[in-house]
Amino acid sequence: MHGLKLLLVSIMLLVLSSQFLAAASYADANEDMAASTLASAEESIVLAYQATLNAEEAGANVSGLLVRLNEAGQLLASAQTEYRLGDFEKANELSESSKSIGEEVQNAAVDLRGSALSQSVQRMVSTMVASVVGVASIAYLLKKRYGSTGS
Amino acid sequence: MLAAAAPTLAILIHLPNSSEKFSELSLLGPNHKAEDYPFNIASNNNYSLFLGVGNHLGYCAYYLVEVKFRNQTQPAPNSFNRTSSSLPSLFNITAFVADEGTWELPLTFSFDFGYNETLTQVNLFSMTLNDVSFDMRNYTIVWDSRNNGFLGSLFFELWVYDTATSSFRYHERFVGLWFNMTSS
Repeated sequence: MHGLKLLLVSIMLLVLSSQFLAAASYADANEDMAASTLASAEESIVLAYQATLNAEEAGANVSGLLVRLNEAGQLLASAQTEYRLGDFEKANELSESSKSIGEEVQNAAVDLRGSALSQSVQRMVSTMVASVVGVASIAYLLKKRYGSTGS
Repeated sequence: MLAAAAPTLAILIHLPNSSEKFSELSLLGPNHKAEDYPFNIASNNNYSLFLGVGNHLGYCAYYLVEVKFRNQTQPAPNSFNRTSSSLPSLFNITAFVADEGTWELPLTFSFDFGYNETLTQVNLFSMTLNDVSFDMRNYTIVWDSRNNGFLGSLFFELWVYDTATSSFRYHERFVGLWFNMTSS
């Protein structure tokens, strides 16, 4: 009888401790996941910023992208705060939102850069054509005027 | 002929932009002016400021503002050596600012602190900035008999993202305020 009681108590202790260990490992996994999502959100924002810089260099108007980047930055700051306070689920959720805005900005910046580059090429070609036509017209007029005077 | 060729020449020849490249960091009082800054601070009372950043770097910039607190013996940023304070940042604020653009953030903050009569010092417990609280239990302020107060400084350091090193570097600018933490 005494042996049976001991066995029951041991089983109960084992079940309780396994639940505690499971909860602890779940919390650890949540923390690791939140840390990893935070890091990838930071990276996504940096990549989006670099793409925005490239678009700006190509002559694109990036003001809309900067507004979105600031939103991503605010979400990331909130995620960092939640992480520090131990709410890893919330931190993970906010980091994911920040990361997705970063990716969206990155794609938009690449598109903007492409269209800015093609616009600047078009502008350059039309300016050059206009210049060549202008120079040729002036040369023709000068030749006509002074050429006819000389003969 | 030169006049006709000028637009093409303007595209092909790029003269360097000689204007100075810099950033501004500003702190305004609660009325959005450089006046009425809080000085006498009571525990758990809210105070307001406006933090501003101006970008004249010639490109859109990614800024980081590190919020720090120090007493009179702790290290401040050094304007001569152009180094930041070695104290840890309590809170980081990031901002993307367009070239020739400005960015502003309203700040509301409060300190939770208590007076230790035995040690004649103020012990800080926490600070709340825009609804985010940080632990400040490592911070103490001793009595300054010359200035008749318990003086602590809240300061903001400006950092800028450097694409060459893929990291933030100190941008050699900081603003801050001294507080007398005696009112209760």
